[in-house]
Amino acid sequence: METAVTGPGQAPGQRQDLGLGITATGLARSFGAVRAVENIDFHAAPGIVTALIGPNGSGKTTLLLMLASLLRPDAGSIRIQGIDPTADPRAVRAVLGWMPDTLGFWESLTSREILTTVAALYGIGKAQARVRAAELLEVVNLGELADTPARVLSRGQAQRLSLARALVNDPSVLLLDEPASGLDPGARVQLRTLVRQLADSGKTVVISSHVLVELDEIADAAVFLSRGKTVRSQSLAEAGAQSRGYTIASLDLEMLRVALAEANFEAAYRSNLENGGGSAKLKLTGEVQAAELLGRLAGAGVPVTAFAPTSGLLEETYLSLEDEMP
Amino acid sequence: MSISTSPRARSAAPALGYLAGIRTVFGLEIRQRIRNRGWYIMLGIWFVVVAAVVGLAALSVGEDGFGAGQVMFELVIAFVLFFGMLIAPALSANSITGDRANGTLAILQNTLLTPGQLLWGKWLASWVASLGFLVVTIPLIGWAMTYGDVYLPAAPVLLGMLAVELGIVCAIGVGVSALTNRTLFAVMVTYLLVALLGLGTLIAYGLSMQLVKTDVNVSNQVWPGTYTNGDYSGDWDENNYTCESWTYVQETFATERITWLLAANPFVVVADAAPRSPAPEDSSMFAEAGPMGAISEGVRYSQAGPEFQIPCLNGVKNTALPPTPAPLWPLGLGIQVLLAGGIVAAGRNRLRTPAGKLAAGTRIA
Repeated sequence: METAVTGPGQAPGQRQDLGLGITATGLARSFGAVRAVENIDFHAAPGIVTALIGPNGSGKTTLLLMLASLLRPDAGSIRIQGIDPTADPRAVRAVLGWMPDTLGFWESLTSREILTTVAALYGIGKAQARVRAAELLEVVNLGELADTPARVLSRGQAQRLSLARALVNDPSVLLLDEPASGLDPGARVQLRTLVRQLADSGKTVVISSHVLVELDEIADAAVFLSRGKTVRSQSLAEAGAQSRGYTIASLDLEMLRVALAEANFEAAYRSNLENGGGSAKLKLTGEVQAAELLGRLAGAGVPVTAFAPTSGLLEETYLSLEDEMP
Repeated sequence: MSISTSPRARSAAPALGYLAGIRTVFGLEIRQRIRNRGWYIMLGIWFVVVAAVVGLAALSVGEDGFGAGQVMFELVIAFVLFFGMLIAPALSANSITGDRANGTLAILQNTLLTPGQLLWGKWLASWVASLGFLVVTIPLIGWAMTYGDVYLPAAPVLLGMLAVELGIVCAIGVGVSALTNRTLFAVMVTYLLVALLGLGTLIAYGLSMQLVKTDVNVSNQVWPGTYTNGDYSGDWDENNYTCESWTYVQETFATERITWLLAANPFVVVADAAPRSPAPEDSSMFAEAGPMGAISEGVRYSQAGPEFQIPCLNGVKNTALPPTPAPLWPLGLGIQVLLAGGIVAAGRNRLRTPAGKLAAGTRIA
């Protein structure tokens, strides 16, 4: 899995000098007595995919709405490509694509009409809008359904249309709220490829999701939210360097146990009932150590059938954060 | 596969013209409405109902062959106005709450569209949709015209004012829709506001009567003996009477002081704006008037006040014709425009983003 981003300045919070991407500091927003967002610092740099992670009700959607210039923060400041959305929302909207978590469409319109209408609302001329709509429908694989009313689209198809809609104005900042929910595995892979391409073309991409395994594969950096606060920002490279749990399965549990004991690893073992095989769970300090251990086990002739992190990188951080929380 | 437009195409800063934005919203709304089957069914039912009423009117009024056209024409106008008051709120008050519920409002707000463009577009669309109800009655209006007695100078004014009134109701509906979160609530509030104009003005007028009670000295009219001996069959001259010298005090109402309360009534606005057909030269033939004519007549009578209503005032024969009163409809239309404009302006504030205050329980996306 190649998620690490090399090079300086890619870690969150280090590209503010350029004024590109998204920078938000000290954001707070309450709805009546409910303090949805208490204190969020957020930075997303151009060219990388930033994941926004947090449990339900942690303020992800509220944060995205504030970034999308739809909600005014009670406190704090936001800069989208250097523009303040409270001061000049239209300028922000011109460079912003936002895919909301609720799917909303004009049901009697066809996918193509929806895209051309939205294009018109961005001031794109008729002919150009038609070209753009056709292009985007191809990109999200809705070419065949371009002229059927949006009403008949399945949830996954509607999700893809929603993504196409967010791309109509060729935004340089893209906010995706739960883009993968409802997508089948094939569409998820396509989404991943597409998001990757968008980031590689220099766009700032923010994705919120709680399917962490998925984000592992797309995201370059992650911001963790909990109860309306930023609890951690890290790049996936950092996450890769942290110690994490691994599960090793073997056809011969006894051999595995001996080999691990020799290498001075503490592990929890679980044997299969029907044969001599089983698995071991242990903590490793990083990918380098994991590679070494695997080589060693193979060298010792242990019949290893699986050697993998117990959980995804982000999940690991997420869970460790939960441990830290009171 | 290209997901980015070329840099050259992007260099032109995107701009959305004010009218272009309105046009796009209008097109979006209209397209959705004309693809809605319910809309056609409603138009069909509407046509049948209005046709039935007008047909019955033709049967009952038209037996002597004269005057039926004017009555039918005015009936159509009154009907379209009456039912327009019922339909226009339903057509307009869901225009923004519906988008809120569907999650499409935030999508519109996230484009270059301004709240003003959104409201103009939505209003125009619901207005045009409610004018559809006027358009389907064109055959019935045509039918009335075939009788040949419709007072032509009044016809375009009545139709035009009717369209204006529908536009005002739609503006109220769209404004209320922008202010509220639930469609049902928006429709209800719009109905109440329309009822305030249609019925509230009447109730206010009726209740205010007590405030303008005055006492006047009147005496009885005396008609020539030939009129009253039971088998008189000649012309009845309304002014051929004398007054008794014995007067008594009668309570009456100075309606000229409260008639303005009726001004904002949509029926009064439409009826009052229309020019009236001149009195026929042959006094035995009276100009046939339908409901709108009757309303106009009633309002002018009320504007005149007791000075011109009482035949024997202070023992003196009073045949003074009331002066042509100042038209009432500009005041009424002014009140309506202010009301609708105020609501729409408040709604526009509510649609501003980034949103500051949100009502409890609102999700903006």
